Amino acid sequence: MSASDPDWLRSPAGESEPSVANPDPGEDPPVEVRVSAEATQLSVMRAVVGDLAMRADFDVDSIADLRLAVDEACSSLVRRAAADAWLLCRFRCGTEGLTLTAEVTSNDSSAPRTDTFSWRVLSALTDTVASSVEAAEDGTGKHVVRIELRKGRMGTSDVRGL
Amino acid sequence: MTSGDSESTAHSRSQRYDELAPLFVELSGVSKQDPRYEELRDKLVTEHLPVAQHIARRFSHRGESQEDLTQVATLGLINAVDRFDPHRGVDFLSYAVPTIMGEVRRHFRDTGWAVRVPRRLQERHLSVSSAIATLSQELGRAPTPSELATHIGISKDEVYQGLEAGNAYRSSSLDELLTNTDEIPLGDAIGTEDSELGEVENREAIRPLLDELGERERRILILRFFRSMTQTQIAEQVGISQMHVSRLLSRTLAWLRERLETEVPTNSTANE
Repeated sequence: MSASDPDWLRSPAGESEPSVANPDPGEDPPVEVRVSAEATQLSVMRAVVGDLAMRADFDVDSIADLRLAVDEACSSLVRRAAADAWLLCRFRCGTEGLTLTAEVTSNDSSAPRTDTFSWRVLSALTDTVASSVEAAEDGTGKHVVRIELRKGRMGTSDVRGL
Repeated sequence: MTSGDSESTAHSRSQRYDELAPLFVELSGVSKQDPRYEELRDKLVTEHLPVAQHIARRFSHRGESQEDLTQVATLGLINAVDRFDPHRGVDFLSYAVPTIMGEVRRHFRDTGWAVRVPRRLQERHLSVSSAIATLSQELGRAPTPSELATHIGISKDEVYQGLEAGNAYRSSSLDELLTNTDEIPLGDAIGTEDSELGEVENREAIRPLLDELGERERRILILRFFRSMTQTQIAEQVGISQMHVSRLLSRTLAWLRERLETEVPTNSTANE
């Protein structure tokens, strides 16, 4: 992962510094992972989400679904990524569920289509899934394409912390 | 595995099985709607179960749970009963033994380990896998790692290792998805995907790809993404482990993405 990359340590322009001290006591500190936007790197994201969901004691179906969903979401972002772009994933895991925000820089200003098979897969694997596009703030005329998905616990929230 | 060996075993028992031969002739003459059909089919499967169990035992030292193997071999047996044609002049065992062996071999091919996983971890994986099946039945939903740890009597870290080990199973050769009709029997036929794919924009590209998938992969895909069944429910219905369902889904989705990408290039950069 790129934690030693000096760029990584700077907060992206215009984005508020995410506070590690989380206001929600039921939420674990967020995890951010950045890899080069290439299909071969996706196993890292799968492993991270699988590990987070497992340790947060999600049921085994949800753990497996989250791995598939992260794979699907990140694959579609990687396909849109500009050359040499990063894929950034931010994971937040709490009592309510797990949220992933994944983003890449793209030359393409269109959001992922929601009437595709891939979107159908994402919707089936998660509780909510949404995409957004905004102009990149680095003045290159590129765009930041995001997919945000979340999955709640399947009626097992009472077992957390056992 | 030498097939001659297993055939001689089968032949030594064939006396008893020969008596069942007339039932196959009767089965072939009965309509599937006739209650007698189910009755005959059940009896033929049940009576031949020792054959499936025997074959499953022969593969038992290869790291798969005996329960899973017996289940796979039994599916092969059901397949054989359904497809056997008594009028071809071949006795049932000569037909069934290779069919069942084929099913078990396919299972190994589908579930082999991708990397060298220490025996201890394989066993942990198997105990977690079978605990998932047991607990799912008890709870009516998929269990959590904590519940698995309590049930098996190991630490949560050990459960995590068992779950992670499942991801080390071989899943490389995507070509293996393109299996022919010789697959695990479906039990009930899956509906046409046309209605399921209704709102999907790229359905014209998807449909032929679904047709290329093996029956089992296609079925699992449809049950998960169009019938909203959970992986645990699918595992129970298809007769494989939840972790195996998960691996098959992962492979199938990767394959579909790859094919859709190469065959349907996105033109969305046009508006740049």
